[in-house]
Amino acid sequence: MEIELKEIRDFLASIPPFDRLPMPLVEKLTHETSIRYIRRGLPLPPVDVTQDRLYLIRKGALSLQSTQGKLLGKLSEGDICTVFCMSGNHDKFIVDVEEDTLVYTIPCEILYEIVHDHPTVADFIRKTASQRLKDAVNTMMNEAALTSPLMHTSTQELMHSPVVSVAAGSSIYDAARSMADNGISSLMITDNDKPVGIVTNSDILQRCVAARLSTDSPIDDIMTKKMLSVTSDSSAYDTLMIMTRKHIHHLPVIDDGRLSGIITVTDLIRQEGRNSAYLTSAIRKADSIGALIEYSATIPQLQLQLVKMGGTSEHVGKGITAVATAITCRLIELAEAELGPAPLPYAWVAAGSQARREQTSHSDQDNGLIISNELSDKERPWFEALARYVCDGLDACGYVYCPGHIMATNPKWRQTESVWRNYFNTWINQPEPEALMHSSIFFDLRTIHGDKSLLERIRKEMLQQTRKSTLFLAHLTTNAMKLRPPLGFFRDFVLIHDGEHNDTLDLKHNGIAPIVDLARIYALTEGISEVNTAKRLKQAAGSASLSKEGSANLLDALIFIGTLRTQHQAKQITNGLDIDNFMSPVEISRLEREHLKDAFKVIQTMQATLERRR
Amino acid sequence: MLHHLFGYEAKRKRSLRKAPDGALKEFLSVPFPAVQERVDNIPILAVDFETTGLSPVKDQILSIGYIGIENNEIRLASACHKVIQTRGKLAEENVVIHQITDDAKFQGESLQDAVEDLLQALAGKVMLVHYARIEKSFLEKACLQLYGMTPVFPIIDTLMIAKRRLDKRSVAYDPSELRLFTLRDRYALPRYNAHNALSDALATAELFFAEVAKMSGRSSPALKSVLL
Repeated sequence: MEIELKEIRDFLASIPPFDRLPMPLVEKLTHETSIRYIRRGLPLPPVDVTQDRLYLIRKGALSLQSTQGKLLGKLSEGDICTVFCMSGNHDKFIVDVEEDTLVYTIPCEILYEIVHDHPTVADFIRKTASQRLKDAVNTMMNEAALTSPLMHTSTQELMHSPVVSVAAGSSIYDAARSMADNGISSLMITDNDKPVGIVTNSDILQRCVAARLSTDSPIDDIMTKKMLSVTSDSSAYDTLMIMTRKHIHHLPVIDDGRLSGIITVTDLIRQEGRNSAYLTSAIRKADSIGALIEYSATIPQLQLQLVKMGGTSEHVGKGITAVATAITCRLIELAEAELGPAPLPYAWVAAGSQARREQTSHSDQDNGLIISNELSDKERPWFEALARYVCDGLDACGYVYCPGHIMATNPKWRQTESVWRNYFNTWINQPEPEALMHSSIFFDLRTIHGDKSLLERIRKEMLQQTRKSTLFLAHLTTNAMKLRPPLGFFRDFVLIHDGEHNDTLDLKHNGIAPIVDLARIYALTEGISEVNTAKRLKQAAGSASLSKEGSANLLDALIFIGTLRTQHQAKQITNGLDIDNFMSPVEISRLEREHLKDAFKVIQTMQATLERRR
Repeated sequence: MLHHLFGYEAKRKRSLRKAPDGALKEFLSVPFPAVQERVDNIPILAVDFETTGLSPVKDQILSIGYIGIENNEIRLASACHKVIQTRGKLAEENVVIHQITDDAKFQGESLQDAVEDLLQALAGKVMLVHYARIEKSFLEKACLQLYGMTPVFPIIDTLMIAKRRLDKRSVAYDPSELRLFTLRDRYALPRYNAHNALSDALATAELFFAEVAKMSGRSSPALKSVLL
């Protein structure tokens, strides 16, 4: 390549996925590049180009439409157009060249040849939005692991020791008996104290029960003999990597041929949550609202720490919510100490993000009280005082009063079990779109304190009804469709679905909320009692309303957008700013933009699927 | 004008008979594109020279850059840049403008080698330049020096295309509006920072695309309407 073409080379090198290629390969690509000028109104690919080609927009603007004329996205300077890399696509898209456009173009065949040793580059171009998103999430997880405190913890600190074991030659029955008695899911087999094999629950299930092998057979017949193992001084991180890579959940720890312990994936994962665990236990011991206010002031720092430790949005949500829940519980305990014991059984319930365990540092409060049906006017003042005490306390701790008055201080949401049942009956059986929009938050409820059975009974009845109520589900769907993800980005704007532009991307309403809404609908359709979005998606996977693939794709989108949000907020915390959900496209890297577009696409696809079903 | 254009092919054939064996003869033996062809169908070579000054008599070619346009696209693979060995020390201003130092110059090739490569690349093509006077006069002088004759080169000049366009308007314009990089800005083409023969040739090729897009109706103009 002539060095004079350096500017073109540098341009190519700045565009994902070529930004991950070594310079000599980018130079090869530059050599194979051609420049075209497409006049406004003329087609892309140009009529004389029949081969599959990649196009990079150097200057100008074009919009991508479906054959029905629906806007799919817009491309401008620095955007990459991969749709014409597949010959099957040529008549599936219409490109409207909106401004005279200068494009760099490379024949795909040559491109694939050049990047042959860099499969992720070819994958980026060839894969679908959801496949690409999955890769991005995997990379994000791997990077997260690198900053994990597990790097600095030895396996010895987390392993179980002494190890439960049976001697080689014991029967499968004896081994299973020992596992059941000790409440463990894996068992070591030793010969004269030397470890010779391992069996797990699933080995017994698959190699014995499912294979109709007698439980009198020796355990040696079904144990795994070629065991991987680690030494007790290896880092917990390396141990986790071995287990992740080999898809194993139990690993013996062996030093000099002697069995020192056993370690499970759960032991390793639990370790990561230690910091919020420390704060919650301190909160549980706080003796005044003043102390709680002090602890709550550290929540942004906790969020920052969780992000720094490599936590995804799921970790952060769980950690932050655990603290909110601890504060709520402690406030209730302090209230009870002041007001005297509760006159009747009740449940303090959280609604919305706290219920779903998806809070970020300072979400506002959404809560209510479900009180035993025996409630009479005599006990009402006690519950009112409790509500006042706790809600005021939460507000003082930074969980500001809910602007929609969804709080236990509102008499409407401080009611007996039967009144709550009636609420749900009305919402489900006489649904009105407007009313339903405001009440959807109540379909995500969790007991924070008190008698769990109150809410569980209501939920059980509610789920029996939602499954059958097509009108209710239809209204819920209609409401959910009001929040649509954007199409992508156009220059430094967010491209909204109707072709309009926005200056900022609202990660919550344009990304996370639509997924939360979808997951709620799947759960209510399938009678799933879980409220956490990720768990709802996992449990609904493979059901009539949600395919396994759709579930996996939405989980990827959730974790990608959610983690982008927690990272954005971590930056704000570091800079001493109040946190929000708004990102300017200028702050979003080219690669993140590509992945966000993929995530939006996944959400759009699932919304469209749901709409078609109604 | 038509008469003049027929003259190109006729003059090529005439020169071919007189040309000495070698690069010039080979260049002249390939017919030029027909003048009634559409410009998006003809092979073009965008060319730029960096010189020590404006006079082909006193000054010398410092470097030659060229890049081909075929099937309506600029092929980067065809790009070529050559630094010429010149006599004497370079003036400081040339070093600054063209970023060619004496060191680079000594590693360069002879004018003959460079011109022969250019003639080979140019065979059967139309030469595309911005402000033809420089490239035309320096190339003619080099041929005269090397082969004892000046052949014919069909040339498209992006400056002339722009000038014709501006002349059509009744408003006066500043001559600086005709500069390559001013025109590129006008057509919203990307800014290239480098200033040397190859990147200027590339800049000219892109500008030509933009000019053709502006001037043409449904199909691109005929070669004769843009030839110098």
